[in-house]
Amino acid sequence: MSNQKKRNFQIEAFKHRVVVDPKYADKTWKVLEHAIHEIYNHNASGLSFEELYRNAYNMVLHKFGEKLYSGLVSTMTSHLKEISKAIEAAQGESFLEELNRKWNDHNKALQMIRDILMYMDRTYIPSNHKTPVHELGLNLWRDNIVRSSKIQTRLLNTLLDLVHRERTGEVIDRGLMRNIIKMLMDLGSAVYQEDFEKHFLEVSAEFYKVESQKFIECCDCGEYLKKAEKRLNEEIERVTHYLDAKSEIKITNVVEKEMIANHMLRLVHMDNSGLVNMLLDDKYDDLGRMYNLCRRVPNGLLTIREVMTSHLRETGKQLVTDPERLKDPVEFVQRLLDEKDKYDSIINKAFINDKTFQNALTNSFEYFINLNARSPEFISLFVDDKLRKGLKGVSEEDVEIILDKVMMLFRYLQEKDVFEKYYKQHLAKRLLSGKTVSDDAERSLIVKLKTECGYQFTSKLEGMFTDMKTSQDTMQGFYASHPELGEGPTLVVQVLTTGSWPTQPSATCNLPSEMSALCEKFRSYYLGTHTGRRLSWQTNMGNADMKASFGKGQKHELNVSTYQMCVLMLFNNAERLSYKEIEQATEIPAPELKRCLQSMACVKGKNVLRKEPMSKEIGEEDAFFVNDKFSSKFYKVKIGTVVAQKESEPEKQETRQRVEEDRKPQIEAAIVRIMKSRRVLDHNNLISEVTKQLQQRFLPNPTEIKKRIESLIERDFLERDNVDRKLYRYLA
Amino acid sequence: MIVAAPAAKDRVKFNVGGRIFETTSTTLANAGRDSFFGPLFDENWDLKDSSQSVGGGEFFIDRNPDCFAVVLDLLRTGDLNIPPNIPERLLYREASFYGVLDHVRSAKWGPFDGNRLRYSKSISGTAPGDGTAIRAAPDGGCAVAHGSIVHVYDWMLSEEHPPLTLDHQRVNDVIWVDPENLAVSACERLGRGDGGLGLFNKTSGRLRFKFQVTHDNQVKSFTAGALATAQNPNHRIFSSCKGRSNEYGIGVWDQFTGKQVDFFYESPGWSLGDADRLQWLEERNCLLVATLFPRKDNCYISLLDFRTKDMVWSWSDVGAPMTVDERRVRDGIAMEGNNAICVVNEYEDLGFMDLRMNGGAIRWSSRSRLIMKGRMPDDEPCYPKLALHDGGQLFSSMNDCISVFCGPDMVMTSRLRRGYGGSICDFSIGGDRLFALHSEENVFDVWECPPPPVI
Repeated sequence: MSNQKKRNFQIEAFKHRVVVDPKYADKTWKVLEHAIHEIYNHNASGLSFEELYRNAYNMVLHKFGEKLYSGLVSTMTSHLKEISKAIEAAQGESFLEELNRKWNDHNKALQMIRDILMYMDRTYIPSNHKTPVHELGLNLWRDNIVRSSKIQTRLLNTLLDLVHRERTGEVIDRGLMRNIIKMLMDLGSAVYQEDFEKHFLEVSAEFYKVESQKFIECCDCGEYLKKAEKRLNEEIERVTHYLDAKSEIKITNVVEKEMIANHMLRLVHMDNSGLVNMLLDDKYDDLGRMYNLCRRVPNGLLTIREVMTSHLRETGKQLVTDPERLKDPVEFVQRLLDEKDKYDSIINKAFINDKTFQNALTNSFEYFINLNARSPEFISLFVDDKLRKGLKGVSEEDVEIILDKVMMLFRYLQEKDVFEKYYKQHLAKRLLSGKTVSDDAERSLIVKLKTECGYQFTSKLEGMFTDMKTSQDTMQGFYASHPELGEGPTLVVQVLTTGSWPTQPSATCNLPSEMSALCEKFRSYYLGTHTGRRLSWQTNMGNADMKASFGKGQKHELNVSTYQMCVLMLFNNAERLSYKEIEQATEIPAPELKRCLQSMACVKGKNVLRKEPMSKEIGEEDAFFVNDKFSSKFYKVKIGTVVAQKESEPEKQETRQRVEEDRKPQIEAAIVRIMKSRRVLDHNNLISEVTKQLQQRFLPNPTEIKKRIESLIERDFLERDNVDRKLYRYLA
Repeated sequence: MIVAAPAAKDRVKFNVGGRIFETTSTTLANAGRDSFFGPLFDENWDLKDSSQSVGGGEFFIDRNPDCFAVVLDLLRTGDLNIPPNIPERLLYREASFYGVLDHVRSAKWGPFDGNRLRYSKSISGTAPGDGTAIRAAPDGGCAVAHGSIVHVYDWMLSEEHPPLTLDHQRVNDVIWVDPENLAVSACERLGRGDGGLGLFNKTSGRLRFKFQVTHDNQVKSFTAGALATAQNPNHRIFSSCKGRSNEYGIGVWDQFTGKQVDFFYESPGWSLGDADRLQWLEERNCLLVATLFPRKDNCYISLLDFRTKDMVWSWSDVGAPMTVDERRVRDGIAMEGNNAICVVNEYEDLGFMDLRMNGGAIRWSSRSRLIMKGRMPDDEPCYPKLALHDGGQLFSSMNDCISVFCGPDMVMTSRLRRGYGGSICDFSIGGDRLFALHSEENVFDVWECPPPPVI
């Protein structure tokens, strides 16, 4: 007023702003607020969507977005507080149902409110960094309902109680459960995890801790595993029915930890029902269950594998070192094969062919087979037995299976060269005595050995087969060129190539004159067709068929060794012969002679000779007669030599020595090969390289390698470094 | 009495501002649930046969009928046809009311192809200084930097958002981090901590945060130069940085948190902190940094591998003999698919370098300079600039022209020219549009492809 009085002019800024009805915003909001009430009260049919949408649009357009947004927040909050009270009032069972019903109502209302406020949602909210309407509705529900003090704990306890009831066998309303859990997940994974999952896992851990303790006290291992598996499957099923799929791994982890990991050692070692018992009794189902459960926990399979390995090694060790078992090599190897079959089928049926278990099995076998130095010999004997008689009437496929199994054992051997040595000997015997059952089986095994050991070894074996074949042809040629030999004794010579056959000290003996004449004829025939060769007689390896008639006129055909033949032929011209006379006449080495006399004079049923004095042993002073009283129900009598099938101690030593001798050039070759490529190498590395190279064949002894190195230095293949004496240099 | 055919069930009648429209719910469904038309068919609202459509069975909408006709047509055909009597602004407003603005945008112009571009319009600004940079936004809008201010336009171009400034310091570069946010690099002001690099919201124009450079746990002020972003991996933003003392190099930050995650210091005899251009090479996981004449006396182009802190590829013309025609590299861009870096000299000759060979030479393409000779305008020339589009098309600006190069040998296939506003000082491709900023009249042109042909 004072201004007016002074009549002062004031310049007012030009206002071009259009003044809207000052109550415009309040009026419009009232309309919208009313609509929100009606929507929550299920009374929306009277609302005009177009009008509400346009009103909300206009509020945002006229810069009342903030008023609209805050109005929405407070209106919705007050509604949710009402709803919260209604849910709190629900008693007992109806609590969850009421919550679910109100949640559905809220969702529907939220969608409609968002429809009205769509323009605000699209323009005002992003540019002002506000929470979009739908998310806002969920957040308000979370804060006013799910996390309100009177509902939060009650909800959690109700849910956990339902889960517990289901675990104890009650039937619960899974559909309702799923809806409520879905609500928690819709409110965000954090709400689900914080308000439910975390507690659910804790309670489950406690539940299974108690239960597993109860089970382990009263169940045996197999039964316990069944229960654990059942519980695990129940939890997985629970997740698919009403929990978040991401919870599966978490809850199964809880069950695995409480029911398996915490009791694993006790279960595996449980008396009378643990892993070892399952293995012994071939309980495939229980073993499979244990495998599947332990696979789920850290170190589970490792534990099983270790227990299995140590059990296997223990039983294997007993098997190969039991002196009783050593008496019968065939039985010995058969037991090994049976053991292998047993574990193969366990790994196949229960451990789903787990590679790590297969490796453990292989390692265990390699470990205990080599505990017994005679394993190579026994395996060869097993083959010998099978090829002599064991394969009669067995189909070709079965033969292959047996041979494959033998090869598998062969692979476990460290000293493969020892096996080879024995195999060669046994094969030679089989061939020379014509005892081999199946040529195909023999050849099939040689092919297998070839793939394992290479051409080098089998070429000699193949040479043996060739010798047999050529000998047949030679004999045919011999008799064709000497038709006059139709009468009299028949000579069959097998010409063996030196080197291909296991050499034995050739102890020649004096053959009877009839035979030696025949032998000379053959010698001249053979050397006539093959110039430049040398023949020497291996009388210790031959055999003979003789016709003999005894006192009562009964005739027999005797199948004897060459030595025995020589002895018997002497009695064509004498009644009585002393040991000394026989020895002089035949010049058979004493041990051999004693053995062959023993077999003819001391074995019942085969005693074509009589000895004075009567005793089991042959003495230097003994005298021998033809046993006129000899009788046998067979026309053909086979007089075996008393030969130990297994090698005797000195023979064993001898074989051993020959093996060692054969190894020397191999070790030297390996050293030279390595040094040639490396030029300079220190002692330790050289030893380890040589060992690595020869591992395939045998495990060389470091001292032996050292000796070989010394020998090579002497022969100027290598020299020691002048400065560092540990270094070797290769001399080209 | 006429019985309605079964198909009539689908029919909807609107009364828009007094005019009757009839359409089908199928047509309206094209607008999507998230539009004004969505709730009309939602069972919650139950609008189809409620009281709101009684009185002739019409649904009343209190809006402009002319615009509704255009919108309805858009929903029917997917084509946008604006009659001359309807201002674009009015139509955009109505489309925004119905929630179909995105439909309008995608119908307005077609997918980008350098050889189909048509001149659309020119926008004149009010800024005083020379244009520095123009950057197309992913949605078809753009940001234009003049001196110390950045003007931001949305795709409708009719409305300008609040302009941005970073402490009113001279702006060096602008880059869109996402459709809503952009980063602005500016010169520092001595001792005040002003300038540097800031992230702005497009709509509100508010500075959200500044990207800081820390050396030895001390925050340093710096001048931010060229910018680049990498979405893969980890949403990084890169900037060339010049600090007070020895802090020249490339800074790396997280786009969302603004935290500095790395700094690549330049080595003696090499230039990184003054770089004219940065480019992220996704396949190689490397950053291309190019510092060029005349900012420096020599040109340096290198690829940085931040995982190994290694310069994995580099080229420089230091010590190279000057040829008679003196071809200096004025811009360079990497074409990962071709394993090449393309460079351009002041005569708009293109040259190529092999990315797989370190220390190779430039192989200049034999394209004759005759086209350009004698056409050099009298006024101050602008240096050539290069840009690349996803489809393998290469663009180069020279004077008032933009040339388009295609094919394995990069032959010129199109030229874009509009003789107003003088030389083109910068251009940018994005949101299926090409923007060209002129140096003189403070004006920029918009080029876009027409929608696909009717048949």
